[in-house]
Amino acid sequence: MIISDESAVELRSVVKRYSEILAVNNVDLTIKKGEIFGLLGPNGSGKSTTLKMLLGLVQPESGSIIVLGTDVQKDPITVKQQVGYVPESPRLYEFLTGIEYLDFIADVYEMQTEEKKNRIYEYLKALELEGREGDMINGYSDGMKQKIALISAFLHRPRLLVLDEPLSALDPRSARIIKDVLNQLKTQGVTTIMSTHVLEIAQAVCDRIGIMYHGKLLALGNMKELRAMSKLPDSGLEDIFLKLTGTGDTKAIVEELLK
Amino acid sequence: MNWKNVLSLMQVDRKSGRLIRGRKLTRYRENRFLAYWPYWTALGVGLAVGLLVGVVYNFVAASDATAAVDFKNGALSLFFSLPTLVLIISLVFTLFQQIQRSGVRASWQVPYWLPVTWQEHTLASIFASLFGFPLALIVLIATAIIAFSLFSGLVIPAMATSLAVFAAAFMASATTEVFRILQVRFIGAVYKSTGRAAVWVRFAGSLVFFLVFYILYFYVFYGSGIVTFIQNVASVQTVAWFVPFVWPGLTLFYSFMSGEVLIGLAFMIVSILFIAGLFFLATSLNKQFGLYEPPAITVSRGGYAPKTGVLGRLGFSSLEAALIRKDLKAFTRRRELMAIFIFPIIMVIIPLFQTFGSTSPSFPFQLSTFLAAYSFLFPAAIMAMSLGNFMLGEEGQSVWRLFSSPISARSLVKSKFFFIVLFSLIVLAITGAVGSVIYHPPANVVIIASVEGIFLLCALGALSLSNGISGSDFTETPRPRMIRQSTAILNFFACSAVGAGILAPFVPYVLSSTLSSLMPSLGKLPFLNPYIATALSAFTALILTVIFYRFALKNAREFLKKAEI
Repeated sequence: MIISDESAVELRSVVKRYSEILAVNNVDLTIKKGEIFGLLGPNGSGKSTTLKMLLGLVQPESGSIIVLGTDVQKDPITVKQQVGYVPESPRLYEFLTGIEYLDFIADVYEMQTEEKKNRIYEYLKALELEGREGDMINGYSDGMKQKIALISAFLHRPRLLVLDEPLSALDPRSARIIKDVLNQLKTQGVTTIMSTHVLEIAQAVCDRIGIMYHGKLLALGNMKELRAMSKLPDSGLEDIFLKLTGTGDTKAIVEELLK
Repeated sequence: MNWKNVLSLMQVDRKSGRLIRGRKLTRYRENRFLAYWPYWTALGVGLAVGLLVGVVYNFVAASDATAAVDFKNGALSLFFSLPTLVLIISLVFTLFQQIQRSGVRASWQVPYWLPVTWQEHTLASIFASLFGFPLALIVLIATAIIAFSLFSGLVIPAMATSLAVFAAAFMASATTEVFRILQVRFIGAVYKSTGRAAVWVRFAGSLVFFLVFYILYFYVFYGSGIVTFIQNVASVQTVAWFVPFVWPGLTLFYSFMSGEVLIGLAFMIVSILFIAGLFFLATSLNKQFGLYEPPAITVSRGGYAPKTGVLGRLGFSSLEAALIRKDLKAFTRRRELMAIFIFPIIMVIIPLFQTFGSTSPSFPFQLSTFLAAYSFLFPAAIMAMSLGNFMLGEEGQSVWRLFSSPISARSLVKSKFFFIVLFSLIVLAITGAVGSVIYHPPANVVIIASVEGIFLLCALGALSLSNGISGSDFTETPRPRMIRQSTAILNFFACSAVGAGILAPFVPYVLSSTLSSLMPSLGKLPFLNPYIATALSAFTALILTVIFYRFALKNAREFLKKAEI
């Protein structure tokens, strides 16, 4: 396979099945370096499975996945060293304190002591966790845990960020900071792939958007291309999404529910 | 009280305890027969035991009328000790269940936002705690005594005993419920008052609690404890009449043994009142503290203190050292893992209990040598086996961190194995020192047992780690499972066989020294030198350690490749 120097991620004919359920159905996708890519889709459409396959957390049944020039199935360690990942509901080591957890992550990525110390404090301060870093994580709120999970993804200066619902449970200020950080990292050539159900965020942050439905990549492009594809020239992402996924007839459903 | 709500809540609890790891979960259908297998088995065994004893009773009655009366009286005195016996067993098991669940946050708890009253929640929780062994035991006892009563004509006492047994189990479970709520509140208060020392206060407190709990458990269930216990219950019950927990038993005693039906009736009424009181106490405590969340523990004041430490100098990479440090914190901060530390202590205490119970003031040389060697070998070996079993499964749902981080199989196994060996060595040093102080073994026994202990724990640690990786279970509700039951059982047998194989070179030496002490005319056989046995045994252990370590590596590679949990 010819891999473009410009691409951060290449999926070719990727299929993943869980028993009878076809979670990812023959997906082809190329994501360029320095791009912020949004992966959208209804629940159970195959987004999280696709993201997990990028790190080798789920093995595809067939097809190939190249991440930052490395075949993830052949050399997952090299890929993981360059990726920062936040899963949909990150379970942290709750018996560690916030700072101990981040120290653990920094050591796993073999960061230098001085650098890890500085970066940990920068992020703790930015996300308003300073002063609580010595508390055990099991005493944190969901939002605080999400912040720790995000810091642990950014800490080792990854070249690719894979974020599954990264802004869920965050307060508006922290969400804004994360969005700005992603935009800054983009200018440094860092690629971000994020899945979200908050379509306003996807529309505001992402350069390109892929919409998955029943395991297939239904639509792919920037907002202009998606509008053209859906023949909704002046619409926002929500209308486009509902039209493309065929879940647009919400009015009748609501009427039925309120009967 | 909405009984439908209570039943639904109990169902949720029962289903959360299912062993579904490794099953096909898409379009999952529960096999109703298999779901209740412990109770069907208890029913079958109870019926078989009851019928068998009934047939024996018929046989006795046909041949000797006096013996039949004695048989019947014996059965009746057993009947009236059963409620107290079941109460204690249920108390131990329900408490044990709570300990195992203590590390899990309240996600498995009743969803408080539903229209469920505290009475319904508390009642469901009390019943649900009885699922598993306590309920199976009640079914077994009730079936056995009712089946027996059909032969002996004790149908009414048997029916009453079955009810009393159930009431006693309910009493135990309600007590555990009260204890659970108070414990959560108490721990919260301790965290608040002890500040940064809270983590150590909790560590020490949990160790003391587990120690007391396990000593009680082993005392009741092992050796001749259970027989002595039943005899004690039968005799002590009437003396300790003022203790409410023995009232169900006393109801039976006065109603069917001594013929004082009115007193029996009085005890029945106070038993019911006591059960109701416990239930209302549990409900009101739940109302008061049910939603109480203990405050966060602050371990440090903040401020960053990187610990490059000794591990780096021992040749561990920063990744491996981070994994070891993380596990060290897990085993000192997670209550459900602390129980593992208790087994080696128990293993030293139990034989001491038994030997102290003997009339002889001093131990014979062979026995003291054996017990000294035992204190060096077994606690550390059990520690290595337990840690190996749980070392990967203890990651729980946080295991995604291992999967998504650049951790190789080599680093994973190296760090986990080091942790097992390190902790087991500490146990060996401590229990060996205690054994040496108590039994005064000769120097050569200390040297041989220490060397042997080190090799044994390495081999068993590697074997258990290998099995622990392949059989790891990351389910955390209703309690962290850590390892599949089937793997744990298989690993126990595998470790027993391997341990016996490693220690086999000592068999001729032990036999010869025992024989020569019994028959001094035989003299010492020169080729049965303990040092040769040690060398042979150590060599075997070394080879096995290498083999099992490689198995562990292979299993870890598979594990990291098939990261789907």
